[in-house]
Amino acid sequence: MNENSAPLLEMKGVEKHFGGVHAIDHFDLRVMPRDIYGLIGPNGAGKTTIFNTITGIYQADAGQILFEGKNITKIKPHQAAEIGIARTFQNIRLFGNLSVKMNVIIACNMRSSYSIAEALLRLPRYRNTTKDIEERAMGYLESVGLTDKADDIASSLPYGHQRKLEIARAMATEPKLLLLDEPAAGMNEEESIDLVNFVKKLHRDNPITILMIEHHMDVVSRLCEQCTVLDFGKTLAQGTVEEVKQNEAVVAAYLGGEL
Amino acid sequence: MINSFYEGVIVTCCVNIIAVLGMSVLTGFTRLFSFGNAGFMAIGAYAAAICSVHYHLPFALSVLIGAVAAGIVAYLLGSLTIRLRGDYFLISCLGFGECVRVLFLYLRNITGGAVGYTGIPFRTTWVVALVCAIAAFIIAWNLIHSRFGQAFSAIRENEVAAAANGIDVVKYKKMSFVFSAIFAGWAGGLYAHYLQHITPVLFNLPKSCELVITTVLGGLGSLSGSVLGTLVVQLLPEFFRKFSEYRMLAYGIAVVLVILLRPSGLMGYKEFPDLFKKSGKKKSTGGA
Amino acid sequence: MKILIQQMITGISIGSVYALIASGYALVYSLLDFSNWAHGEVCMLGAYCCFMATLVPKMPLSVSCLIGIGGAALISLFNEKLAYRRIRNNGSPNMFLMIAAMGLSTTYQNLANVIWGSKFKQLPRFFKTTTLNINGIFVGTTDLLCIVISLIVLVILLLIINQTRFGLHVRAVACAGRTARIMGVRIDQVIALVFVMAGALAGLAGITYGMKYNVYPTMGNVGLKAFIASVIGGLGSVPGAIVGAVLLGLIETVVSGYISSGLRDLISFSLLILILLIRPSGLFGVDVQEKA
Repeated sequence: MNENSAPLLEMKGVEKHFGGVHAIDHFDLRVMPRDIYGLIGPNGAGKTTIFNTITGIYQADAGQILFEGKNITKIKPHQAAEIGIARTFQNIRLFGNLSVKMNVIIACNMRSSYSIAEALLRLPRYRNTTKDIEERAMGYLESVGLTDKADDIASSLPYGHQRKLEIARAMATEPKLLLLDEPAAGMNEEESIDLVNFVKKLHRDNPITILMIEHHMDVVSRLCEQCTVLDFGKTLAQGTVEEVKQNEAVVAAYLGGEL
Repeated sequence: MINSFYEGVIVTCCVNIIAVLGMSVLTGFTRLFSFGNAGFMAIGAYAAAICSVHYHLPFALSVLIGAVAAGIVAYLLGSLTIRLRGDYFLISCLGFGECVRVLFLYLRNITGGAVGYTGIPFRTTWVVALVCAIAAFIIAWNLIHSRFGQAFSAIRENEVAAAANGIDVVKYKKMSFVFSAIFAGWAGGLYAHYLQHITPVLFNLPKSCELVITTVLGGLGSLSGSVLGTLVVQLLPEFFRKFSEYRMLAYGIAVVLVILLRPSGLMGYKEFPDLFKKSGKKKSTGGA
Repeated sequence: MKILIQQMITGISIGSVYALIASGYALVYSLLDFSNWAHGEVCMLGAYCCFMATLVPKMPLSVSCLIGIGGAALISLFNEKLAYRRIRNNGSPNMFLMIAAMGLSTTYQNLANVIWGSKFKQLPRFFKTTTLNINGIFVGTTDLLCIVISLIVLVILLLIINQTRFGLHVRAVACAGRTARIMGVRIDQVIALVFVMAGALAGLAGITYGMKYNVYPTMGNVGLKAFIASVIGGLGSVPGAIVGAVLLGLIETVVSGYISSGLRDLISFSLLILILLIRPSGLFGVDVQEKA
């Protein structure tokens, strides 16, 4: 990584409180383009809150969030998607009653621009766009290996496939930054390794930067160069995975637990 | 060519189909409940009637103005209330519908009050009604199978995920609301030109409830289900005149049974073409 | 001035009837997060139960009232057991509870119409309709009775919720149903009891309303007013529902008295929308931010 290049995502002194609880406290983060960056910490450390402030679901109480140098602190969720920040959710959020393909089509729609009149009258631009989008959607499904499930109802998929579908849907918005919220949650050893390879391939094939929340240290060490460790909203350590593993505060916090 | 009884049945069915299709887009696809759509029907009916009678505008233009008027009011109301959560939104619609009815009762000089507005020319023949209903179905179908309708479904399934995929939830909810109001207004305008005499009581809260009930019975998330539901709700009592006082009783029981036993309604997320299609075959047109 | 006071008393009296129904709405909403639209019809059926009991020769009026209250409680419980519990247990979206309630409401209203016809029935009253003259202010005895009964009952209700073990369970389930279950609260039992309580309150409201005015199949629409009251107060808040109900009663009578009775509903509905715009979760409601 070139240390001089500008970060893709930068958080400066971001704070978020719920009542008296500091969910995140003076949080700093620099994610460089093409990084795979890890956010680690026990439950309730404020990791998902960080995702929610980046994507505009929560408004930060203090601090600044910059994306490609632009201030996005007060962005709305759909605008975050438009400027190229896509995400998955800890408790998978698919469009459950819709088909697998439709889940991806809806995400593809964001980049289509036919007007309502063109849609109601089925004018050529509507027809071409729809056809084009369908092909693209099938492409994304192929990349996650769900082609043969395209017409299934999303909620009927097994858990692992649902996670992949959610990632395919996020990729379909053509993001620059992909936020993965505990992609390996609930997976066994073998499935985790499968996921690591999948994310690596995703990162290799697409010009994206990845910021991921993960409990599994082995997943983090296999994927991420840089990471941040959080505890109760505070940053315990920041640096390469190896550095962080040696950090005394981190070791103390985990007491040899998951690390 | 067709006797007045059957003409009445066809016109009533078609008018209700249009209103229910609007409701279907709003409730079945966007999962927003409105117990005020009879209010939008009233706006469409009175606006169209006044255009016809007072300003001597041609029929089609009057109906169009009625529909647009309902849409504009929905836009203004939606701008204020669409952000309200679940039941709060619902009650604001209900309140709006009742406000419209009371207002039309009160503005005697313009609307004729409780006596009603009379002298509307008879223009909605069964042919006109049928053509309108078919057009309404095609428009609703095209909407649902476009990126707009797909956004509605996404909001229904999961608002947070919809927003994370670039859907402006507030904007699309409002669009769905306005769309349903335009259809209600359209239905109202046609109805006025069939009845020739309209009163506010035609568009009361039970009428709003009937629209919701029909949508639920037909199946949330199915346009063809909405048409089927309307036919069942409107036609059954016509052929069982003797039991007309049991009509609403039967609907009430039917709604409870449907929700308990087959929550997806008559058609449940399926359209007619889906019934003849095996999974894995080439998909139907449109992309849903 | 005297007229205003007189009207305010009438307003509080009708508001206290709304409050009985609205607190039931709020209780159910706080537990299950849905608007029990059939609640107004429970109130109507309670009034009819009482009316039927009064037709029995030599039946004391107080016993008839108890029958009415008990009948309403049973119907409320029946709704929960027949419909709501099943819908909760089969994992349907919450919205289906509301649709089922709407179906039940339509069913009961039309059932009453089929059984008793749409004619008004008169419930006997405890006192002859007299008005007391207090310093030139005329107050109806029925109005006073309404206020006193509602006041007593609502105080008891608040005591139950805030002081008893059962009330603690109710509040626990309202806060976090699943956690309460793990802690050993029998959720279904608590919910069933709350429906019984709400039903009894509605039955009482139906009887007082029936004595004040009449009994008729669409009188359940008073439930709509109570619903509005609980929305004004903030859905799920019992004190909010009571305040909202009295407020609505006052506004209605003052508007009918000073402006126009035709505009009564228009103004109360506009006010409702206005309150929602200023405070989207009602006066006492808590705005919950959804966790992503």
